[in-house]
Parts: sequence; C-alpha cells; structure tokens
Amino acid sequence: MTIPTLTPLLAGIELKSPGGATWEFLILFLVVIIGPPLMTRARVPGIIGLLVGGFVIGPYGLNLIGAGNTTVPDLGQLGLLYLMFVAGVELDLALIRSHRRAVVTYGVLTFALPMLFGTLIGLALGWIPAAALLLGALLSSHTLLPYPTARAAGLSADRGVATAVGATVLTDTAALVVLAAVSGTQVAGGSPASIAAQIVLGLAVLVAFTMVALPRLARLAFRYLGTDRVVRYLLAVASFLAAGTVADVFGIEPIVGAFFAGLALNRLVPNEGPLMDRIDFFGSAVFVPIFLVSVGLLLDPGVMVEGETLKLAGLFVLASLAGKAASAGIARLALGYSGPQATLMLGLTVPQAAATLAATIVGFDIGLFDQSVVNAALVLILVSIVVGTLLVDRSVPTVPSPEAGLRVGSRILVVLTDPGQARLAFGLAARIAAADGGVVRGMLAAPAGEMAALEARLAELQAAGYAAGVDAEARLLVHHSLVPAVVDTATEGRASLVILGAATTADASLLGSDAEAIAAGLPVPVAVLLGSGAEPREVEVVREAADRPGGGAFDADGLAIDLGRRIGGADVEANDLVPESLQPPRPGLLRIMPVTSWQLLAGPADPGTTSAVLLLPDL
Amino acid sequence: MALLAAALGGCGSIGASAGDFTPARPGVLTVATSAVPSPGFWEGTAAHPTDGFEYELARALARRFGLDRVAVRIVHFHRIVRGHLGGADVAIDLLTPTSEREASLDFSGPYLRSVPTVLVRAGTAVPDLKTAQELRWGAIQSTTFVETIEDSIVPEEEAVLYDGQQEVVAALEAGRIEATLLDLPLAVAIAARSGGRLEAVAQLPEKEALAVAMPKGSPNRQAVDSAIRALAADGTIEDLLEEWVGSEAANAESAIPLLHTTLH
Repeated sequence: MTIPTLTPLLAGIELKSPGGATWEFLILFLVVIIGPPLMTRARVPGIIGLLVGGFVIGPYGLNLIGAGNTTVPDLGQLGLLYLMFVAGVELDLALIRSHRRAVVTYGVLTFALPMLFGTLIGLALGWIPAAALLLGALLSSHTLLPYPTARAAGLSADRGVATAVGATVLTDTAALVVLAAVSGTQVAGGSPASIAAQIVLGLAVLVAFTMVALPRLARLAFRYLGTDRVVRYLLAVASFLAAGTVADVFGIEPIVGAFFAGLALNRLVPNEGPLMDRIDFFGSAVFVPIFLVSVGLLLDPGVMVEGETLKLAGLFVLASLAGKAASAGIARLALGYSGPQATLMLGLTVPQAAATLAATIVGFDIGLFDQSVVNAALVLILVSIVVGTLLVDRSVPTVPSPEAGLRVGSRILVVLTDPGQARLAFGLAARIAAADGGVVRGMLAAPAGEMAALEARLAELQAAGYAAGVDAEARLLVHHSLVPAVVDTATEGRASLVILGAATTADASLLGSDAEAIAAGLPVPVAVLLGSGAEPREVEVVREAADRPGGGAFDADGLAIDLGRRIGGADVEANDLVPESLQPPRPGLLRIMPVTSWQLLAGPADPGTTSAVLLLPDL
Repeated sequence: MALLAAALGGCGSIGASAGDFTPARPGVLTVATSAVPSPGFWEGTAAHPTDGFEYELARALARRFGLDRVAVRIVHFHRIVRGHLGGADVAIDLLTPTSEREASLDFSGPYLRSVPTVLVRAGTAVPDLKTAQELRWGAIQSTTFVETIEDSIVPEEEAVLYDGQQEVVAALEAGRIEATLLDLPLAVAIAARSGGRLEAVAQLPEKEALAVAMPKGSPNRQAVDSAIRALAADGTIEDLLEEWVGSEAANAESAIPLLHTTLH
C-alpha cells in the first residue's frame, strides 16, 4: 500500500483514552510492582511505597482512580480481611504457650497503656467516648512487621521475641474486641441493653464458630475436598469469609471474624507448610498490596499538612510510643529481660499496620473519624514502622542467640517404603507436630530402578496425608542408597525429627542398620515406625533398661515420654522394660520405646496391622 | 456492657473526630435542589417540601450536626453543577461527582450508587442498542446523562435538552421524545406513579455514584463526608430508600434488563 492510500485509513482510526476495569487493574498492579522496590532503595519500608503509590494514582494525586471508584476499595476490603486472617494464622501459638506468664503480662501492658493514653488524648480533644476508645484501640495494637529480621537472626526462640510475638495475639484480639464494641454501638440500632446483648451474643457465637466449629469443618473439608491444592487454598479463603460473615450478621466488623478464623486455623495451616506458602504468596502479591494501595487513595496531602492533622499525628505518635516504651520498660523490670531484649521487644511491638489500619478505616467508614484522623493515623503508621524497624535492626546484633534447640515437632520428615503405612505414620506425625505448630513432610523412598512403579503410588501417600490433616505434599525420595538420601534430605529441610517407616519386622531388621546409620548422621532424633494399622487408641511408653551402658546423643527416655504424651495425652506414663515389651502389642496399642543397636537389628515383635511400635534408636 | 453501650452510643451530635459543621445560617441546614416535587426524593411543593428520600436525608444530616431544621432552596440544576448553590450549605440533587464538576464543587462520599435507566412510554420496547438508537431521546441539560446518551447510545437524532426533571417527563408523556435516561430509583418511582403510562425498560451497564455537593473549599466537607458514611453504616440511608422509593426500586437493578451500549 502506498502512503496516500494509507492516509485515509489511518485518519479513520479512532483511539479512546484508557478507562474501565482493565485500565484500573493495570494501574493498580503497576503501583504494586514499582512502589515497594522504589521505597526499599531509599531505605524506606516497602509498605510505604504502596501507600504513597495509592496516593499518586488516587483522587488527590493523578486521579487515575477517581473518588467514585468502587472496584479498588471493594478489593481493598477483601485485602483487609486477608491481612487480618494472615495475622491470626501465622502467629506461633506454641511459642506463646511456652512463655505463658510473660506473654500475658506483657500483652496486658502493651495493650492497656497505649489504650489508656489514646483514650485520654481523644477525650482531651473533645471527641465522643466511642471515638476516643477507638483511638485507644488503634494505638494499642501492633503488627510484627520487623519479626522476619529477628527470625532471620535466629532469635525466634528468644524469650523476649517469643513474648512480643505472643503479646500480639492479646493486643490484637483486645483491640478488635474494642473495635467490635465501638462499631456495634454506632451501627446497631436499639437500646443500649439490646446493643450490648447483641455484641456479647455476637462475640460468643463468633468465638464458638471460629474456635469450635470452623477447625472441625476445615479439617473435614481438607480431608474430603482438600486433595487438590487449589481447593485447599480456596477453603482457607472461604473460612475467613465465613467467619467475617458470621461477625457481620451480628453487627461486628468482619475483620474481627477474619482474625479469629486465622487463630482457629493456626494449627491446620503450619507456618512452614505449602498451604501457608500459598496464602502468603497470594496475600503478598495481590490482596494485601491492593488493600494498602486502597488506603493510599485516602491520603490527601492538603489535609496531611494541615495544622490539625499534624497536631493529631504528633499526639498519636507520642501516645503510641510512650505506651509501648513504658510497657517494655515495666516488662524489663518485672520479668527480668536484658536491656537489648527489652529494646528488641519494643521494636517488635511499635510498628502499627494491620489492626491499626483496620480500626482506622472502620472508624472512617462508620463516620466516627474524618480524613484528618485517617491521615494522622497514616503518619503514625509511617513513623512507627520506621522507628520499629530501626530499633529491631540495632538491637538484633546485641541479643545473644538462644541456646534452645529445635522443637521436636517443628519439622517432621516421614520417609516410608510402603504407602500402606502412610495413614498411621501421618496420623502420628500430625499429633507430634501439632503441639509445636509444625509441619510434616512425607516422602516415599524409591530405589532408582523402581521410581516409575512407586510414582504411581504417591497418590496414596498424598491422600493419607490429607486424611490425617497433614499439610504436606508427598514426594518421591529417589535414591541409590537410602542412608545418604535421608540424611541429605533431612539436613536440607532442617528436620527436627525423622520417622522411618517399616511395615514388618523383616523390613525393620533390614532397616535397622540403615536407621542406625541415619541416626548417626543426623543431629536430630530418628524414629522407626513398625505397623500399618489404623491410628492407635492408647499409648504405652517403655523406659530403657537401667543397666544399659553409656547413652546416646538424646535423652531417649525423655523423648519417648514427650512423644507419648503428644500422641496419647498428658496421662501417658513410662513403664519399665519387661520381657512383654518385646512381644507384639495388643490391638489398638502404640508402644514407644528407646532401643539399642542389637534390639533394632534383632527386630522387635511384629505389630501387624492392629497395633504399632515406635522405636527410638539410642546409640 | 450495657452501660458502656449507653456511654458509647448516647451522643446527640458527633464530636470533633468526624469534622465540624458550620452552617451558613445558625441552627439551620440550608439545602439546594433543583426539582420539588421529585417522586420519592422530594415530596410536597417547591415552597413547602414535606418529605421524600433526599429531604429526609437532609434532615438526618441536620440532626447529626445538632441543627434545628432544614431550609430548602430551589436552584437550577445547571447552576448547581457550576458551583452556585444560592447560599446553601449543601446541594442534594442526585448529583454525580465528575472531574468537571469537582472543579467548582466539593463532594461527599456517595450516598447511593445508581445506574442510568431508560424511561419510555408504556409499550415502547428497547430490546437492543439498535432500537435505542432509532428513538428520539431527551435529557436534562447539564446532567451526566447527556454525555451518556451521546457516547454510549449514539442515537440517530441528537438528544433534546430540557431544563429540569418535570419538563423532560412531561415531554416524554406528551410524545415529544420517546426515551430519556434517569437514575434508576427515580426512573422506577416516576414509572410507578405514572399510572402505567411510563415504564423503566432497560438499564445501562455503568454505575454512577450520587453524592452531596458543597461549594468548592467548603470547611464542612469532612463533616458531611463523615456523616454520609455514618448514615450508610447505621442503615439510615437504606431505611430511607426503602421508605420513600420502595423495595421495588431497591430490587429493580436485578429486574430491569441490561442494554448493552457502544462502550461495553
């Protein structure tokens, strides 16, 4: 075609300015991609890049997403629910249990002092009580944004860090309960008595739903529907949406339900498991950034630099920092933390993001807060994140790494040669891991030549894992020699316990020398599981012979009773080794016993398909 | 807990955390609107409005700000959208915030979201865009519907513009035009009160926000904005819509067929 021919064709082309949902999503995702790295380069936390990005594209910036837009705020609401769910699901409940007293003391302090200061400031500003209390609640919560820094430094088991993590459950729960009460009084109609009854009833129903019904429903759903990884993810999402809906029905903010759903599923979704990985991935890639961008849309520089906003921001920062610092100081004196530990605890509990934003946005949505308060809260969030990050960065090198070793249930590696053992092995592993909120990884050992045949049976392992509620995606462990393969895999995966399966005594005898070699090659305990029946109804722990010379790297008796109680309950006691201990256990019984090398090689009594034996090589 | 609820809930007017409202006339919320009566939205007469969704919304705002009463000023729609509220504190008139209007007005957050709805004389079917393009269209000047008709429907004849709602509805009833666009609840309310002469037959696939307008730079923007959010959150707006526009309008969005336009 010649240019004269093309000219009228080109002239007829009509281009329209970009608009609609596609354009909005493009803008949104560009902010999510570009905002955080830009800020990180400037040594500012990435979260601030999302807030600033939201402002840039929002009605007070370039107006690419206008004030009347509903898509981004609606998606932001979903992101907020997601954020609160993740905050609940990723808390380490095992750590909290192990430092119960300190957690409760510090949790109460770090909630109550900022709450008190915030409420007093609100009242002094002439706010109505509901707004003043909501301000207290938003100052009292915190988000463990710098926790990954402490964890990466090997301090997650430090008493101070564990206390700060545990206190988060209390502060966020208490803050959200205050939020529920305040928003309930503003939103629900009726007499004060009926409003109070509705809130109390709503919280009771919500706690019953999330703590009693939801874990059971989720376990059942994971078992029968959750063999597909997409379905497992969607079940997790549906869980927090369901809890949010239950809360909403009673006039309680849905974020309270989402947070409770996170706590409820905490055990079912271990932090290092694949489902948590997926939840984290989608959360950090899409939902949470979109929420933060949607908050950024509210940033109005005109309002932010107003004297009123700056005054509010100054007071918020002062109340929050003073409350958190006083809490850390009192905790240091009362609970005996070192100076660096107290600074680290302060750094971890100063940053305000999730619950603070949630309370602020809810206050804004129900008309208790105006844009000045929102912008002042955003200033508080920016300042608190920067201060918290600096405190943690500076204190981490000065806190010694705790000597406490890996908790035995934190990362369990199950290696089977017979998929028929999967149900029993995963069931026991799940119970051992539960107390530590740990993960179970399942592998089917496949000698190099038998890979194809065993690959087909991997599904059995997978199904058994899901049936036991284990969030593990079973894989083949292809090997030329089992010992180095298991040692390498356990070392690489930082396993805390290795369970080797042997369905029969004959297998066990063969495995005996392998188990010894594996146990000798690993710094963590190894257990040999015999039997292929259903999960046992009762547990028996057999103590080692008193005249046994020497001793292994572990306290095998202590480990045996620990595992026995994790599986069978707190009532399990250890019995002395008697001749019957080497006979087949009665049906329904799991026998846990430390064994010496010769006992392993000799092969203990075959438990068959009605009972089970867990041997702990004590070399 | 009940005491706490009483303490938290028992407040006459909102405090400083939600923005302060300073009326032009002490104790009075002065509201500008363009058409009274406007079925379901402003009942009574121009001289003496009695009730209706937007009038009650104004009264709810006044109560929240601790003001004694509402005074209504009738101002031409095209003057309102240019920022001339006749000295009123706010304008409540099914106004959609647009970037052009934001140059001369401040807006609250939306109190309703509505879709443009096609109002015709009973018996006129509008099953598709081609049929719609063959109709004679009319619209109220300065409304966003003028642009919507031009850009989304692209009728064969240019739309006829009218000064106000009464005029465009009268033209439709008289057959001078065959179709017009109105906000969904208003279109449904007008059709319901027309004695079967008018019908809301199609909705366009685009949503518009309806918000309270204030003079540009008004110090009351934050207070009005907070108040609208509060009235939405505590169900007041939904109750008023149900009471004055009716459940028919509330459910009309799913009942009225969608008209796919040139832009969608």
